[in-house]
Parts: sequence; structure tokens; C-alpha cells
Amino acid sequence: MIELLRYLGRWGLGVFQRLGRGHIFVLYVLAGIPGLLFRFRLVVAQMWAVGVLSLLIIVVSGVFVGMVLGLQGYNTLVDFGAEESLGVAVAKALTRELGPVISALLFAGRAGSALTAEIGLMKATEQLDGMEMMAVDPLRRVVAPRFLAGVLSMPLLATMFTAIGVVGGYFVGVGLLGVDDGAFWSQMQSKVELRDDIINGVLVKSFVFGIVVTWIAVFEGYDAVPTSEGVSAATTRTVVNSSLAVLGLDFVLTALMFNQ
Amino acid sequence: MLDQNGNHSRAAAGEGPIVEVRGLSFARGSRIIFNHVDIDIPRGKVTAIMGPSGSGKTTLLKLIGAQLKPDAGRVSVDGVDVHRLPRDEVFEMRKRMGMLFQSGALLTDLDVFENVAFPLREHTRLPGSMIRTLVLMKLEAVGLRGARKLMPRELSGGMARRVALARAIALDPMMIMYDEPFSGQDPISMGILVQLIRQLNDALGLTSIVVSHDVAETASIADYMYVISDGKIVGHGTPDEMGRAESKWVRQFMQGLPDGPVPFHYPGAGYIDDLLASEEP
Ligand SMILES: Nc1ncnc2c1ncn2[C@@H]1O[C@H](COP(=O)(O)OP(=O)(O)OP(=O)(O)O)[C@@H](O)[C@H]1O
Ligand SMILES: [Mg+2]
Repeated sequence: MIELLRYLGRWGLGVFQRLGRGHIFVLYVLAGIPGLLFRFRLVVAQMWAVGVLSLLIIVVSGVFVGMVLGLQGYNTLVDFGAEESLGVAVAKALTRELGPVISALLFAGRAGSALTAEIGLMKATEQLDGMEMMAVDPLRRVVAPRFLAGVLSMPLLATMFTAIGVVGGYFVGVGLLGVDDGAFWSQMQSKVELRDDIINGVLVKSFVFGIVVTWIAVFEGYDAVPTSEGVSAATTRTVVNSSLAVLGLDFVLTALMFNQ
Repeated sequence: MLDQNGNHSRAAAGEGPIVEVRGLSFARGSRIIFNHVDIDIPRGKVTAIMGPSGSGKTTLLKLIGAQLKPDAGRVSVDGVDVHRLPRDEVFEMRKRMGMLFQSGALLTDLDVFENVAFPLREHTRLPGSMIRTLVLMKLEAVGLRGARKLMPRELSGGMARRVALARAIALDPMMIMYDEPFSGQDPISMGILVQLIRQLNDALGLTSIVVSHDVAETASIADYMYVISDGKIVGHGTPDEMGRAESKWVRQFMQGLPDGPVPFHYPGAGYIDDLLASEEP
């Protein structure tokens, strides 16, 4: 019994210590961001690794998710003779929920895990220590550009996912199932709102997810136990924790944003 | 003497030992690694710090470089207590210390040239052509000018260490700390490294600290040696004096005797008790 309590206590302490370290860590990283404006090439290089290299999986998944939405939406709407509204249904589902959430989950798996592994391995091979001894702060030189690149890439990827998804829905709905072309677009145009759906839905959500996923990824890498097991455990934690964080936060954001 | 602080620090910088370790204590958890250690590193000389594996040699270099904080005691470098400096001044100080890591610690996403150029690009605003000249000079000094397009994964262990050496001298530091420069080297590259350390020390007017357990090689280049064991300095002197030392510790270490005051075994429960216990507790 005492053992159990002691175990729980130690576990709780560990969790809070990690949380504390994570917050101090992000403050240091944020302090390093202004300096990057003069060395934007570092950020651009990371946006290539984090953003551009995630494009393929984002685009392919976007097409399929859009196609599934088109098919499902059509099957439901056609019973009510409302298949003209398919455009709205697909677009709303994508902009408000599926676009930002699925692209954030994919981003965590594709880019987040890579960031953790890269930084963790740099730590395990003493590259970060070596940098420190060369009077270069790894938080500014290694972590800050990756963090900024992740935060900037996420909204772009989510936008791309959403746009491609709409095209996928169009392809199935209009192309294969014969929904009226004009109605598909005109209903979408009149019902999708800039503020609620595009800005709040796609952009704000994916910006928040970008911060959380990248933060978890770079912190797990930097905090990893510098051995092979340590790095692999950290990579797993990145994917699990950031996926859970995205889903949890999505609920909170939806409740805050789309509450009539 | 009128302006105490100013005069004092100016007197301390530039003369006296470059590194002064006083009453240094450091523990990892319950394992005491240093227990009131005093070390002086004289200027312009090659000083060796020797000790068995796990005796805390790497830890000592990290304490001097202010990557770790001591539990007690102080470390001054060029007259300044490095553990009292604010963060940005620690970084200024580190520009004047080169450190060669046991693993080389090259940046794996940059080629040899860019690795050596890294500190120059980070800390100076020199134009590209000047950086190129400097990098080629440093690479020439370690004999790897021709290998500048290779990536770290394409280098042998010995080459990687020489690249790391070129990088460590890129900013023309006042001192270099070598962590196990000889371990895992074949006799030829060992010889090359021994010569390089000596030549760089004399030609550039550096101070070198060589941490190692290769007795013969180290004794051949060191001007002064310290032997640490069990958290204490068990002997120091010139290589000659050390060769003739009476101390059991020093003798064991210098002559490579397997057992003696420095135990072969990591501390633990008695062997028989361990064998008789039926399971790991
Ligand atoms: N990060 C760490 N956490 C806990 N203990 C450590 C850590 N690093 C080193 N130690 C312990 O500190 C002691 C000294 O380690 P150190 O690396 O300084 O030894 P060393 O003299 O450089 O050995 P070697 O010659 O094998 O490189 C070792 O007993 C080791 O167990
Ligand atoms: Mg060591």
C-alpha cells in the first residue's frame, strides 16, 4: 500500500518536473526566435525538412479523406433529396475539423517523430555538447529554427489538406455520382464563412496544433535520455502525446469557437 | 593595488596557471567523483590528466568548460571563476577554449569543410573567401585538406578526430582540452596525433590539457602529469618523476598492473554473496 503511494507520488513528481522543464525550455526557445529573423536561411532549411517533405502524405491523405466525405455525404443527403448541399457538407467538415485535425496527426507522425529523433541523436552523439563548448547555444541554433519552421508549416499544410480534400469530394460527388456542378460550388460559396470556417477553423486550429506538436517534438528530443533506447522511447512519446494533445485540444477549441 | 578588483584580475590574467582548480568536489547521485581536488594547469605547456576508466576525466573537462557545476570548490580559467560568470560570459570564455570530444562530436549533417567553418560562421562576420582560407589552413595543419568534401560518416575514427581538432583550433583558442585523443587509434594515427598535439601547442602558443589513459603516449608529450583515482589526486609531477614515483597508485597506473590500490571491480556487494543470492533483488 505504502509502496503504491510512494510509486504514485514519485510518478506525479516526475510528471510535474517534466512539465516544468518543458515550459522553461520553450521560454528559452522563444527567446531565440527574434535572432532568427537575421538568419532566416536556417528556418527555410528546416521548413523544407519539416514542411515540404510532409507534403506528399498530406496531399494523398487529403484526396482520400475528401473522397470518403463525398461518398458518405452523398449517401446520406440523397435520401433527403439534398445532394446539392454536398459541397457545403464536405467543406464544413474539412475546414472545421478534419482538415486541421488529420493534418496535425499526420504532421506528428511524419515531422514530429523526425524532429525528436534528429535532436535526440544529436544529443546522444555529443553534437549538442560540442556546440555548447564552441559557445553556440543549441537551443538557438538547433531547436529554435526547427520550432519556428514547424509552427509556420502546420497552417500551410492544413490549408493544403483542406483544399485538396474539397477537390477530392468534388471528384466523387460531381464527377462520379452526378451532383450538379454549379450547385456544389455556389452552395459552398454562400455557406462557408471566412471568419468561422476558414480563419477559426483551418488557420487558428492548425496554428495551435502546430505549436503544440512541434513543442512536444523538440522538447522530447532535447530531453531524451542520450542512448538508442532513450531516443526511440522519446520518439514514441512524441507521437502518442502530441496526437492525444491534438485531439483533446480540438475538442476544447471546437467548444470555444463553434458554440452558438 | 589601488583599484583592487581591476588590478587583481589583470594581474591574474596573463600569468600564473591558466586553469586553477581548488577544493573541487562533485558527485553524481551518491557516487562521489571528486573529493577536494586541487589542480594547476600551467600556461603554454601540455598537461596530462590520467586515471582509470570511469575516474571522472571527462567530467573534469566538463567542469572546466562550465558545462557542469561543482558541488563545492572553484575552477578559475585565466583568473576568472567560470562558475560565477553569467551565461553569456561563459560563452565568451568558451570561444577561447577548444575542446576535442571523445567521440569527435562532428555535426553529421555538415561536410568536413562546413564543420571546421561552423565556429567561424557562428562567431565572426568574415567574408566567405576569408573563411575558406582559414578553414583550408586549419585542415592543412591536420593533413586533411583533401578530405574537405567528405561527410562525417565517410571518415575513419582517426580522421574524424583530426577534423574535430581542426575545428577546435578554428577560433585560435588560448587552450585546448583533449578528451582521450588516442583511444581506439592504430599506432600510426596515434603517432600522428601525438605529434600534432605537441606541434600545435608549441607553434600556436597554446596550453593543452590531455585527458587519457594511454600511459606511454601521454608521457611522451606531457610536460606535467596528474593521476586521479577514487576522486583524489594520487600523484603529480613531470613524466620522469612519475616514472620513479614511490606511490602504489602511481606505480600501478604507470606500469599497468591489473590490480592494486585501484580496484579492477566497480564497487558492489561481495562476489560470493552475489552468487548465492538466488535472484536479482
Ligand atoms: N550523465 C551521467 N549520469 C550519471 N553518472 C554519470 C554520467 N556521466 C558519467 N557518470 C559517471 O561518472 C563517472 C565518471 O565518468 P567520466 O565519463 O568522467 O569518466 P572518464 O574518466 O572520462 O572515463 P573514460 O576513461 O571511460 O572515458 C563514471 O563512474 C560514470 O558512471
Ligand atoms: Mg571519458
